[in-house]
Amino acid sequence: MTEATGSARRAPRLELVGGGVERRGRWLLRGVDLAIEPAMLTSVVGPNGAGKSTLLRLLSGTWRLTEGKALLGGFDLSALPRRQAARRVAYVPQTVRPTFEFTVREFVTLGRYPHENRLFGTRSADRGWIDSCLDDTDVLALAERRVTTLSGGELQRVLMARCLATEAEVLLLDEPTSNLDLAHGLDLLGLARRLACEGRSVALVLHDLNVAARFAHRVAVLDGGALIAEGPPAEVLNPDLLRRVFRVEAVPLEGSAAPVFDFEPLG
Amino acid sequence: MRIAFGGIQAGFWWYMAAGTVLLLTFAGIGLFRGAVPIDEGEVLAVLARHLLPGERIADPSVDTIVWSLRAPRVVVAAMVGGCLALAGAQMQGLFRNPLASPGIVGTSTGAATGAVFALTFGLAGSFLLAAPLFAVAGALLSLLIVTRIATRDGYTPVTTLLLAGVALNALLAAFNSWLIARSWEQYEAARRIAYWMMGGVTDRGWVHVGMVLPGMVIGCAMAVWFARDLDLLLEGEEVAASLGVDIEKAKRAVLWSAAILTGSAVAVSGVVGFVGLVVPHLVRLLLGPVHRRLLPAAFLTGAWFVVGADLLARTLAAPEEVFLGVVTAFVGAPFFLFLLVRHESEVAVSR
Repeated sequence: MTEATGSARRAPRLELVGGGVERRGRWLLRGVDLAIEPAMLTSVVGPNGAGKSTLLRLLSGTWRLTEGKALLGGFDLSALPRRQAARRVAYVPQTVRPTFEFTVREFVTLGRYPHENRLFGTRSADRGWIDSCLDDTDVLALAERRVTTLSGGELQRVLMARCLATEAEVLLLDEPTSNLDLAHGLDLLGLARRLACEGRSVALVLHDLNVAARFAHRVAVLDGGALIAEGPPAEVLNPDLLRRVFRVEAVPLEGSAAPVFDFEPLG
Repeated sequence: MRIAFGGIQAGFWWYMAAGTVLLLTFAGIGLFRGAVPIDEGEVLAVLARHLLPGERIADPSVDTIVWSLRAPRVVVAAMVGGCLALAGAQMQGLFRNPLASPGIVGTSTGAATGAVFALTFGLAGSFLLAAPLFAVAGALLSLLIVTRIATRDGYTPVTTLLLAGVALNALLAAFNSWLIARSWEQYEAARRIAYWMMGGVTDRGWVHVGMVLPGMVIGCAMAVWFARDLDLLLEGEEVAASLGVDIEKAKRAVLWSAAILTGSAVAVSGVVGFVGLVVPHLVRLLLGPVHRRLLPAAFLTGAWFVVGADLLARTLAAPEEVFLGVVTAFVGAPFFLFLLVRHESEVAVSR
C-alpha cells in the first residue's frame, strides 16, 4: 500500500528568487521570493486572478520566467532538460476532462514518460510501479475503465496517481480538490499531507482558507501578482490580512488548534 | 468498441495479423487478376524469377504485365495508403481532433499545386520526375509557410497553425483552379491535370516505388520516434510539458514527418481522399489512442484499404478504370458518416 509513497527521498528545496513573468505587456506575477520547503505542505491562497496558477507554472518550469530564477536544490531549473525536470518536479494543472479514450492504466502510465525508453516504452518494473500508484490513490479497481467515463472524484484521484507515477520529489497541484465532494476532498488532502510528511515538497492551490489552515504546514498568500505573506497558517492568516486581500470580514472561531474563521462580506 | 481479446496488447497483435492477411490477399488478387487473363502458374513463374535466387525463364510479355505493370501498382497503392493513414493519425493526434486529415496544414493542396505547376508549364513532359518532385517540394514549402505564419517567439500554437492551414488550403485551391483554367486550351495538359487531381495508381512503375520509398522511410522513422509524445500531447500542451515533453520540438517533428509522408504519397498518386481521415479514426476506435499501437495499425490498415480500393477501381467498370480517389471517397465518406453518427450516440450515452 505505501510502496509508492514510502520510497521518497528527502526532496530538494524548490524556490523562486525575484520571480516574475510578463505576458502581453502585463505582469502576471512580479518580485516573488518563495521557497517550497521539503517535507512541508505549502498552500497557495489568494483571490481570483492573484497569480496562483502562474506561480505553480513558474515553479514547475513549464513557463519561462521573464525575470528572476527558479532554483531546484540551488540549481537553475530552466537549465535542466524538460525530461529531467519532469522526473523531479510534478505539476498537475487544473483538471480538464479528458476527451481521448485512454484506459486508466494507460492514462497513469503517461506519467512514466520522463523515465521511458523512446522506442521500447515501459518495462515490467514500470508496470509494478504503476500498480502501486493506482493502489495508493485507491483507483486500482478502475484500472481498465476509460478515463472518459470517470466521475470528477475518480478522475482527480487518477490524476494524483499519474502525478505519483513520475516519482517526482516535488509535487505542485493546482486546485486538486475543486471537483471533489467533502469526503473525497479530505481524503486527497490527507494523502497530500502524508506525502509531505514522508519527505516530499508539496504545494497546493486551495480556495478554502479553513482547509488550507488545517492541512498546510505553511501558507503563501498572493494578491495582484505579488506575494503578500508567507509562513505558518497561525501567523499568516489573521482578520486584518484577510480583510485586505480577500475583502471579507473574518471572525475567528474558538476551540481549534489551527485558525478557523467564519466569513462575512465587508460593509 | 475496443478490441481486447486477452488484453489490449494481444488485441493489437490480432488486429495486425488480420490486417497482414487482408493485405496479402488483396495484393495477391492484384497480381493474379487483370485486364489480360494470365494463367496462375505463369504469374507464379514470373514472381519466382524476380524474387527467388537462381536463373529462371518466363514469357517476356507475361513478365512485363505481371512484374512491370501489376506488381508496382500494388506496391505503390500499399505505400500510398500506409503513408496517408499514418500522416492522418499523426495530425489527428497533434490537433487533438479526430476530424483532422493529413493535409490539414495545407500540405496536400501544396503538393497538388507543385504537381499542377509542373504539368501546366510542360515540365512534366520533358522530365518524368518533375511532377512528383514539385509535389514534395510544394508540400514542404506549404508547411514552412504555415509554421512561419503561426510561430511567435518560438512558440507555435496549434489553433493558429490550424487556421493558417485552412487559409493556405483555400488560397492554394484557388491558385490550382486558376492554373487549370489557364491551361484549358492545351487539351493534353488539362487532361493530365484532371486525371492527376482525381488520384490513382494506374501505370505506376518501379520508379514510382523508388520515389515514395525514401520519404516513407524517413517519415515512418520520425513518426515512431515521436509516437509517445503524441500520446502526451493528446492531454494538452501544458500537461505534456509538465510530464517532460519538449513540446515545440515534438510538434515540429510530427508536422514535418506528416508533411514528408503526405507529400511523397500525393506526389505519385495524386489526391487520394478520405484514407487519411477514415482509417486512423476507425483504428483509434478499435485499438484506443496509444500511438505506439495506433500508428503501425493505421499504416497497415491504410495499405490494405487502398490496395483493395484499387482492385475495385480496376474492376467496377472494366475494362474502363474508375479513379482511385473516387473509389476511396465513395467507400470512405459513407463509412465515416456511419462512424460519426454511431460515435456521437456513444458519447451521448456516456455523458
